[in-house]
This record gives sequence, structure tokens and C-alpha cells, in this order.
Amino acid sequence: MVTTMTNRQVPNITIFHCINSFNNGDRPDIFKSTQCAVKTVKLACSSMVKDVFLLKAFEAGADAVIVLVCPEGTCRHSEGNIRAAKRVAWVKGLLDEIGLDGRRLSLHNVSPGDNDAIERILTAVRSELADLGPNPAA
Amino acid sequence: MIVGEQKKIDEIKKLIVPYKKLLVLGCGTCVKTCFAGGEDEVATLSSALRLCLKKDGSPAEISELTIERQCEDEFIQEAAHDISRCDAVLSLACGAGVQAIAKRFPRVPVLPGVNTTFIGILEKHGIFTEECVGCGDCKLGIFGGVCPIARCSKKLLNGPCGGSRNGKCEIDPETDCAWQLIIERLTALGQLDNLRKYIAPTDWRTSNAGGPRKLVREDHII
Repeated sequence: MVTTMTNRQVPNITIFHCINSFNNGDRPDIFKSTQCAVKTVKLACSSMVKDVFLLKAFEAGADAVIVLVCPEGTCRHSEGNIRAAKRVAWVKGLLDEIGLDGRRLSLHNVSPGDNDAIERILTAVRSELADLGPNPAA
Repeated sequence: MIVGEQKKIDEIKKLIVPYKKLLVLGCGTCVKTCFAGGEDEVATLSSALRLCLKKDGSPAEISELTIERQCEDEFIQEAAHDISRCDAVLSLACGAGVQAIAKRFPRVPVLPGVNTTFIGILEKHGIFTEECVGCGDCKLGIFGGVCPIARCSKKLLNGPCGGSRNGKCEIDPETDCAWQLIIERLTALGQLDNLRKYIAPTDWRTSNAGGPRKLVREDHII
């Protein structure tokens, strides 16, 4: 039986973010409004996201993983967001090879404090998950 | 350094499918530098395989270990305990490392997770180029440090073919013309006259084409 996202209560989403793109200190209400179970992993710089961290998030049960990085040209460590983008592209390829579908992983440039953008991203990912279904390796 | 490239997940999956307890064994030397088989790559591949096998409904127990080098007994023995607890080893070392592990642990299947490709250098971050084919009769002193055997597509020894364009090889436009590099280097060194000497065709008997090679240093054998 194929399990669709509609059969599950809420999708599990893990967000890796740099402190320059998003402040999760107060866990804003946007997570509740998008009906997603969100785990956040704060990083000093998005370049600290390693391939294995992204895969481990899927091993831990994430249906989708989002990487939030600061806008191009604003990384306080010069090219951290560029490195993160390259790693995300690599892992997307791995997810396609594994058969989990690289669309489960995405990277977005977000300005600090732009909660509207985060809400839009989560809504879009939730919509994508309706098509992809839950993580078959969870 | 030896450069290698990790095999695709699909191919690795076919190799490991008969085994329920797998050890992914990395090497901390050459393959770590070319991002094929170091500790990070072991972790990433192990995670990817766990996801893949679980998705397919045939999960396996996958453990991870990286040793300094898989081509030396002194380091291989550190893996003995972990190898004794698995059904098979997926080695991410070069071909020499895979065989050294297999020789030391003949009762455990040792599978290759990396395709060993060439002897080369890190030209710049993320780019590795072939520099040496191990011919066994090095003539780099004549050619200003640029090897025409490894780096010329035609392996010419007595000058360029004349087919290059803008410093690029006519066989592969992504390859620098080795002879252009040789001439530029010898000119800078003031040794262009080296090219007046005729170089005889390569005697391949000193290379692997002459059969598997062995180096014996009696002064180091007790």
C-alpha cells in the first residue's frame, strides 16, 4: 500500500540554518501554521553543513530537509553559502541514486528576519511532499 | 598520490546485497585527499547505503572504520577486531589497499568501493590531474619536469605532433598540450637544447606491461 502524505498527520522536516539567515531562538508560530513537525539545527555558518548531516537527518526520519543560507554576497565567512549550495547539490544527486528523490532536499537564500519567506518555503516543501510521499526509508 | 573515484551507489548495492553485516573501511591517505574514501566519505556512503537498503526493505548492519593506510600491515591490524565482526568488508581504498586487506583476512570477502584511476596531483582544490603512469624509467629531467608519456595523448617523445591549438591537445581540447608545456618549461630553464637529443621508443618492460613488479631492498630486510 502506498502511503501518501495525506495519511500522515504532519510531515517531518529538518531545517539546517546559519545564524545569519534565521533566528530560531523563539521558535516562531510559522511552524505551527504550516502544519509541519520541524526540527532545526543551528550552524555558525551554512558551510558547516556536511553531506553526512543531511543524510543522517533522513535516517532520523525526516521527510524533507531544508538548508537556509544567507543571501548571496552577504555570508560573513565570504563563501560559506556557496560551499553549502555545492554540498546540497551533491547530496541531491546521492538521494536520486538512492531512490529517495533529490527534491526532498532544498536550499534557500533567506535574509535574517524574513519570516514570510520561511513560511513560503515550508508551504512549498509541504506541497512537494504531498507529491513525493513520506520518506520510504524512515 | 593515487587518485580514485567512488563507485556509484547502484554498483555498490549489487556488491553488498548478499551480506547482512558490512564494514565500510576507509583509508586516511590518498583516497581521503581525493574525496573518495576518507573518514567523511565512509560516513556519507554508510548513511546512503543504510537509507538505500532500508528503502528496499532489506536493511543491513553497516559499521564504519577508517585506518591511516590500508596498504601497510601496521595499520591494517587495527581493523582486525571490526573485520572479525562482519560478513564482508567494503574497502574504499585504492586497489592496493583492497588487496592488502584481502590478503591479511582471506576468510572475509573484501569488496572494492572505489575505482582506482591514476597517479596524479591536486592541481587546484577539487581538480586532480594524471601526471605519472609508472613507466619505471623516469626521464623527467630531459623534459623539464613535464612527462610526455603521462601527459601527451600520443605519448610522443621527440617533439609535438603539430596538431595542438591554443595550447590544447587535438585529441582532447580539455587537455593541455604537453609538448607546449615542455617547450615553455625548457625555454624558461635555458635547456631547450635537451630536445636535440633523440629519445628512443619507450621500453615498456620496466612498466606494468612487463608484468607485475616488485621492489626488494635488501638493506631493509632483516
